[in-house]
Amino acid sequence: MRKLLLLSFLLLSYISSSAQEFKIDASYEYLYSNQWEKAIQTYNFSRPFLTEKQPLIANGLNTSISYILKNEKHFKHGINLTYAYFGSSAENENFNNKINLHFVNLGYILHYENDEKWKGLYCDLIISAMSSLIFRTVNGEAFVSDETKSKAFGIGSNIHLKFGYYFRLKNKSYLSPLISFAYTPYLYSPNNEAVINQTKGLTSKNWTGILTTQIGLSFHIRQ
Amino acid sequence: MDRRHFIKQSTFISIGGLIIPSSFLSSCRKETLFEDIKYEGKIIIIGAGAAGLYAAYILKSKGINFQLLEADTNYGGRLGKIDGFADFPIDLGAQWLHGKNSILGDLITKSNTKITLDNSSEKYWFNNQIINSLPNDINSIFLKEDNIPDISFKDFAIQQGFNNEYKYIVENIAGDSGASASMISAYWKIKEEENWVSGDDDFKFQETYFDFIDKQIASAVKDKIILNTIVNKIDYSQDSVTVTDTNNNTYQADKVIITVPVSILKLNDIQFIPPLPSEKTIAFSKIGMGAGMKVFLKFTNKFFAENIIGGSVCAAYADESIGKLTNENVLLAFIMGEQAEYLTALGTDVAITDALLGELDMMYGGQATASFIASHVQNWTTKPFIKGAYSFSTVAMGDARKIATQSINKKLYFAGEAMNINGHHQTVQGAVETGYREVINILNDIKR
Repeated sequence: MRKLLLLSFLLLSYISSSAQEFKIDASYEYLYSNQWEKAIQTYNFSRPFLTEKQPLIANGLNTSISYILKNEKHFKHGINLTYAYFGSSAENENFNNKINLHFVNLGYILHYENDEKWKGLYCDLIISAMSSLIFRTVNGEAFVSDETKSKAFGIGSNIHLKFGYYFRLKNKSYLSPLISFAYTPYLYSPNNEAVINQTKGLTSKNWTGILTTQIGLSFHIRQ
Repeated sequence: MDRRHFIKQSTFISIGGLIIPSSFLSSCRKETLFEDIKYEGKIIIIGAGAAGLYAAYILKSKGINFQLLEADTNYGGRLGKIDGFADFPIDLGAQWLHGKNSILGDLITKSNTKITLDNSSEKYWFNNQIINSLPNDINSIFLKEDNIPDISFKDFAIQQGFNNEYKYIVENIAGDSGASASMISAYWKIKEEENWVSGDDDFKFQETYFDFIDKQIASAVKDKIILNTIVNKIDYSQDSVTVTDTNNNTYQADKVIITVPVSILKLNDIQFIPPLPSEKTIAFSKIGMGAGMKVFLKFTNKFFAENIIGGSVCAAYADESIGKLTNENVLLAFIMGEQAEYLTALGTDVAITDALLGELDMMYGGQATASFIASHVQNWTTKPFIKGAYSFSTVAMGDARKIATQSINKKLYFAGEAMNINGHHQTVQGAVETGYREVINILNDIKR
């Protein structure tokens, strides 16, 4: 344990000393996933007793932290941690159903900027491992089946391209509007359909691909 | 333009640049399947059990023309109830909701239907005595997911060292699946339930399962049901399908959803023109459908345990009054497979009741006969339009259920609990799932 703590401390010290930029993004995220779409469409189709239809999973919030290391060249690299939340809520009499979808990504960020040519414009390419959690609440409480929360985990990979433009606020702090596009070719999550439509293998496969796009702001501290 | 102004403007432009297309994309994406579909054709549903009623319910919600043909004098299929036997209504057919994580679980919450978790305890009739627990845990061997051979429950239990003294305990486990222990496959039972997601808790309705389906689903489509219509011929050789009943009435439709029990298809009670492909009929023959009956016994005293497992006449007795608002003492004899065949062969309800009372007297020192008031026998095997309990997984059945489910010539579609390939066969929610699934299949075929 001591060795692990020491190692962590040394690693953090190294990263801090070698960091050139630290940034926090907050953005609105729009999502498209065919499999989840089918599951919700089937859910709505099969339940005429619910007059208020379940919205598709589409709109969410995304926040991420990036640590970019020092490098003299235009290309710099670092690590990125992202969290995103999507919700879909439909309120019917006696039955308020909400689907909650959470993503956490941890990955490698490749940062490019070239002040001479791009004048404050930058581009990030992020390749990350992705994990997801989906669960539903009914009438404000987690839906419980057999005394356990009905939920599904997923695991996959994500490729993300982000563009932004630096504006200096103060000495070392910058603000940049950003726009980004991401693709998750494969998120393996075998129980997603069981959470959304209470079936398995009826509406979709065990995996899904996801397309997202974001718009937001990034706050940077640069050395 | 100063920096602040520029940031503000570019932020607004960026947000607008994404949110406007996002709103547009969102409006293009439909919240439900076939939102705009218009279908002018007619659909006939054969069988007004849970699958047929739900298919009808969906078709009605989409404004599609349909007719529901039911052979029996009432709708419900293997759901039914009896009033007056006790001071609470009794389910003659399906009575337990198997897990709440299903479409019916949602409907129960939405409709505020009262259900109770059935957590009743079990006692065992083992080596001629009632005991609280078995010497060895036999249930767990049937829950193993790996390395289960494709042999019957009976053979598998013997292979695992559970000899003849566990015979009726094994019959009870098989009986849960509506089968004899010698017929149901240990392998395919596990394999076919891989997609089971509704949960393992069993719930009972404060009223009855039939009442729930009647009020929430059947009531919406009652006017479209034609009762006492025994379909015996389906001609799908022409563009439209002609359905003929035993009174030679004919009904024309563009598509037909067949929801009759698989036993009716296995026994060729319906003639198809042209005949169904052989792989289809072979598939029907591979799906098991065992004998099944429920006998309700009313007593003056509650001398019996909540569940008694392992009888040689009936492997599963259950206190019917659990979960009901009653002070009366009603015991359910839940009899499946070979035991149901044996009791059916006795010929009369009196003989069946006597056989059960005899066994209960042996278990409880003559208390059954002494406090007996009345019985009601519901024999699903002798019901001419049911002919059994529910479908089960047989040895070497392979993909039979998948093949049985496939539609034919975009005209004939198959639904019902036996046609559920998503793990919920044998259940009402499974039947309901196939009801809406086949409507989706029809609309997909129309769209193509």
